[in-house]
Amino acid sequence: MAVSQHSVKGSRREKISIGHKRTQRQQRIFFFSVLILFIFSIVMIDIDGSAIAKGMERLPVILASLTQISFEHFLEMLAGMVTTVVIAFLAVLFSFVISFFLAFLVANNTTPNRYLGLGLRYAVMIIRSVPTPIWVLIAVASIGFGPMAGIIGLMFPTSSFLIKAFSAQIEEEGTEVIEAIRSVGGTWIHVVFKGLLPTILTGMIATLGVRFEIDVHESVVLGMVGAGGIGYLLQSYIQYYDFANLTLGILIVFVTMFLLELSLNRIRALLRTQSS
Amino acid sequence: MSTILKIINLTKRYNDETLALEGINLEVSRGEFISVIGPSGAGKSTLLRCINRLIEPTSGEVIFLGQHVEKANKAELRKIRAQIGMIFQHYNLVPRLSVLENVLHGRLGYMSSIKGLFSLYSEEEKEEAIEWLRKVGLEKEIFKRADELSGGQKQRVGICRAMMQKPKLILADEPIASLDPKSAEVVMETIYHNCIELGIACLVNLHQVEIAKKYSTRIIGIKSGKLVFDDTPDKLTDEMSRFIYEGKESEMYQHQ
Repeated sequence: MAVSQHSVKGSRREKISIGHKRTQRQQRIFFFSVLILFIFSIVMIDIDGSAIAKGMERLPVILASLTQISFEHFLEMLAGMVTTVVIAFLAVLFSFVISFFLAFLVANNTTPNRYLGLGLRYAVMIIRSVPTPIWVLIAVASIGFGPMAGIIGLMFPTSSFLIKAFSAQIEEEGTEVIEAIRSVGGTWIHVVFKGLLPTILTGMIATLGVRFEIDVHESVVLGMVGAGGIGYLLQSYIQYYDFANLTLGILIVFVTMFLLELSLNRIRALLRTQSS
Repeated sequence: MSTILKIINLTKRYNDETLALEGINLEVSRGEFISVIGPSGAGKSTLLRCINRLIEPTSGEVIFLGQHVEKANKAELRKIRAQIGMIFQHYNLVPRLSVLENVLHGRLGYMSSIKGLFSLYSEEEKEEAIEWLRKVGLEKEIFKRADELSGGQKQRVGICRAMMQKPKLILADEPIASLDPKSAEVVMETIYHNCIELGIACLVNLHQVEIAKKYSTRIIGIKSGKLVFDDTPDKLTDEMSRFIYEGKESEMYQHQ
């Protein structure tokens, strides 16, 4: 409004619009699309208000029962938590070995063959589009319940995540050092290990940390579909409304995740100071 | 004088359309210091990279010490590249490695994948690398990380890396374009004197005509992918320079 007052000197004309037309139009389109999707979604899932109200009534009772705690299964749960973390750790470690080389085959600037790189890139995309629990269920179906199924199931999404992240980090390095190593007569191995690795290693370690955190989260949930660890215990407590044990289980998961995040943040900070 | 490099009818076409190089013929003998001048985009970098096949030439022949580079297989190409040093505009050092390691990379062309992977350089090679660093005035920076150095220092490390190859030919692609005038002079002097002293043939891409005239035994002019001048520096008239840089005259003097 202030703008229009400034511009009208004497004669009254229509107000001057001050926005960027195209941006405004895009924002309007976005807003309306979300609105339409929202209406469609509401109709689609057929929300039943009375069910929500009834559930809300029960909520205090459930929360109240979660205030009881039992240390009866403490050691068992602790062992389960350790198993869960170990599943995630091994999945990340094995995936790292696989993805390290594949990432250099995928990255545009280091791939020995463009078509090979492209093919692998698509394979990674397909693996990523299948949700993790499905991979675990497939692993469970083929090798049976237990941590090994969890590790193998987690390795698919973890490897594809790492390949994507690593290849992006490799591509960020550009072609300069690669040209230098090739120009002295170096081999592909020389380009990878002598030219690029020294620079991108810290970034790779940071990525591994991020993925480890995600995998511990996943691993807790995956226990519920048969991958072992604390998730399996939590699942059975919920099934039998065993709230006293469930409370302790949730507490153990919470404390572990909290400590994990703290220590990973410390490591990341350390890496950052080292890399500058 | 023995011929080091012979280029016959070299052509490079990008995407089947843009002609970057068109019918280049060139012969380089031992001990020659040749400046390649021309405006940006004329094809100077492409020419240099076609010689060691960092860029694949479309047609024509490149003969290095009697061997056809364009027909070489992987192993042969490695051996050829090992004998051709290259110096880059952006130095192209590995930033996180020590200066000494970067210089020793010059030996990778003579090593197997495994030997190189574990940095199994001989003590003689290490001594030689240190000797080269001393020679270019970097004795205090030997164990510093490459990214701690100034531009001029980095380029001198790049020169040492090339010299470690014991090259018969050095290709320098705009070695001073990213440097201030003082560092540029030090770097040009270093390249020039060492090449002359060791009888290494050298091809230097430059865009400043004055510097080309000062250092070269011979000057080559490239204009839109064609070789338009090839003679001694005193034959390069102002008129000729203006023709080579037609439309981009400002680049003749500019220091980027």
